[in-house]
Amino acid sequence: MNEIDTSKPPMSAEEQKAFQARQKQRAIIMAGLLLFMVVLFYLITIVKIGAGS
Amino acid sequence: MTTASTSLYGLASARDLFALTKPRVMTLVIFTALCGMLAAPGSIHPVIGFTAILAISLGAGASAALNQWYEADIDAIMKRTSQRPLPAGRMDAETALHFGIGLSVFSVVLMGVAVNWFSAVFLAFSIFFYAVVYTIWLKRSTPQNIVIGGAAGAFPPAIGWAAVTGDVTLMPVLLFAIIFFWTPPHFWALALFMNSDYSKAGIPMMPVVAGRESTRKQIFGYSLILAAIAIAPYPLGFTGAIYGTSAILLSVVFSALSLQVMMSQTSEPKDMAAEKRLFKFSILYLFALFAALVADRLVLA
Repeated sequence: MNEIDTSKPPMSAEEQKAFQARQKQRAIIMAGLLLFMVVLFYLITIVKIGAGS
Repeated sequence: MTTASTSLYGLASARDLFALTKPRVMTLVIFTALCGMLAAPGSIHPVIGFTAILAISLGAGASAALNQWYEADIDAIMKRTSQRPLPAGRMDAETALHFGIGLSVFSVVLMGVAVNWFSAVFLAFSIFFYAVVYTIWLKRSTPQNIVIGGAAGAFPPAIGWAAVTGDVTLMPVLLFAIIFFWTPPHFWALALFMNSDYSKAGIPMMPVVAGRESTRKQIFGYSLILAAIAIAPYPLGFTGAIYGTSAILLSVVFSALSLQVMMSQTSEPKDMAAEKRLFKFSILYLFALFAALVADRLVLA
């Protein structure tokens, strides 16, 4: 998906700006989701340990 | 499939990835799975219950993504679906496929690790059933496609139940059967006034293949079977009077609206008031029936 595709013309300045803005938006959302999963797995672990004891 | 300018060099937006999971369908999945969970005997820790609903929702989102990956060609032909991310050229097919498979694996592993492996296998089967058996195999080859697709949509309450109990008994099978028999009248009512779109895309939808009259008769037939199954939990002693009364009232209205559809002769979508009424009521029917089931369980408890 991200290899250099020589068949397409290079990005214009505006396209590059939009591309980077989208990358940034996706990275922020991914970071938020990962943080949410860390918290969720922490809580699951606590519940499982509690149930085990 | 796509051009650099519309998909920004293969980088789909987060909004389009979210749209790929069919969020509106997911609300019904979350609702019915939650109802299955709340109606099941026994208890589940709120964190584990939340995780189970999350896993079921992600599994449904994964099925939707795989469905849209495979159906981009027919989605492009139909007006209702032509603006989805793939046919509109805002995402490439590879992204949708990877997203769908990744989400499928994650949802099943999450369910297995956090909840139990019985419901994880059940979830995996439901994804396989929707993406492969329905989407790839049967949707384009049989006019009973919606009946089979209905089975895929009917899994969530049974999986929600299995998350609590770790098994499947007669009651979750009845919950499955309610959605299974609800889907054909719900979807065929829509297909009747959207007929031209399906004809254009070459999907063997019942009104296209068997004609309007036969479809209308089948809608009524399925509504009677649905009524019998929806009411059954009450005489079988699985639920109390709140559910029993609600199921009877809702099913009588559903059957009456289906009868109106059967009596209808019109072929013009703009005149299909009875079909549109049934379609709208069918959504309310399912929400109200499952809400009554939960209310009944909470009152009995």
